[in-house]
Amino acid sequence: MTFDNITEDGRLWAVRYDGEVDNALYIILDRWNDVRWLRTFFKNNFNDLVSHFKITDINQAINDTLDDAERLQYLIMDISSEADLDELFRHLEPSRMKEVLLGKEKAKIKNRRQHASWLRIYAIKLSQGIYIITGGAIKLTAAMQERQHTLEELTKMEMVRNFLLDESIVDSDGFEDYLRELK
Amino acid sequence: MDMETTVNKIKVYASKTPSRWREEAEFRIGNKTWLRYSQTVAMKMLDRMEELGLTQKMLAEKMGCSQQYISKILKGKENLSLETLFKIEKVLNLKFINEPEFV
Repeated sequence: MTFDNITEDGRLWAVRYDGEVDNALYIILDRWNDVRWLRTFFKNNFNDLVSHFKITDINQAINDTLDDAERLQYLIMDISSEADLDELFRHLEPSRMKEVLLGKEKAKIKNRRQHASWLRIYAIKLSQGIYIITGGAIKLTAAMQERQHTLEELTKMEMVRNFLLDESIVDSDGFEDYLRELK
Repeated sequence: MDMETTVNKIKVYASKTPSRWREEAEFRIGNKTWLRYSQTVAMKMLDRMEELGLTQKMLAEKMGCSQQYISKILKGKENLSLETLFKIEKVLNLKFINEPEFV
């Protein structure tokens, strides 16, 4: 895997997985703007759409996704050098109060009308204010473990974490801190 | 570890070829109006294809174009010509454009 610089200052990166045409950010934005892909996704996950969001019209789900994808795209594009990325990303597990080394994080749209946004951008926090986007998903269920496509995002995050550790992109002091956190 | 050190370490693993994400995002922003129209056309086409039990291959044959082109249209990313819109309307019995009133 390699990494693409998303912001000029090197504070936001995206993973380019082996064999992929471009990085994870490119791929999720491309999918979230692809009507045919979205229709197939919502058909395959129709029960979750109905039970968790009370939406029975697939075209409404597609339109809502197109709207939210556009807002997320603006959020990423408009990141200025003064912007605090720690405000954009939140801990993946809301119950986690402490910082951990290479923490798993998520970004989503807040204050959406009608229903909460189901779009998620996933990232690993390298250090204060520096993130690597690992992927993204349409999350219709409460827990990521409940569905294969969100479970895969967890796997990707773990894979990127391991890569960063194996290649010593994070320092050993930090890693020891992280191990102490686990105890 | 300070920010500069972290960034320098990541840079070692930077991709060899540039990403097209920003170019694509700027394209979507710059062409937002007609892209949304193209996406609506794709949604209506997919609904009708399902009703009629038409595959992309069958639709391509009926419209006299390649399956690859149909695939692009159904993604909702194609800047459709009037000729193509007319063909879609005719083959799928849809109406996207009201006929102008000539005085």
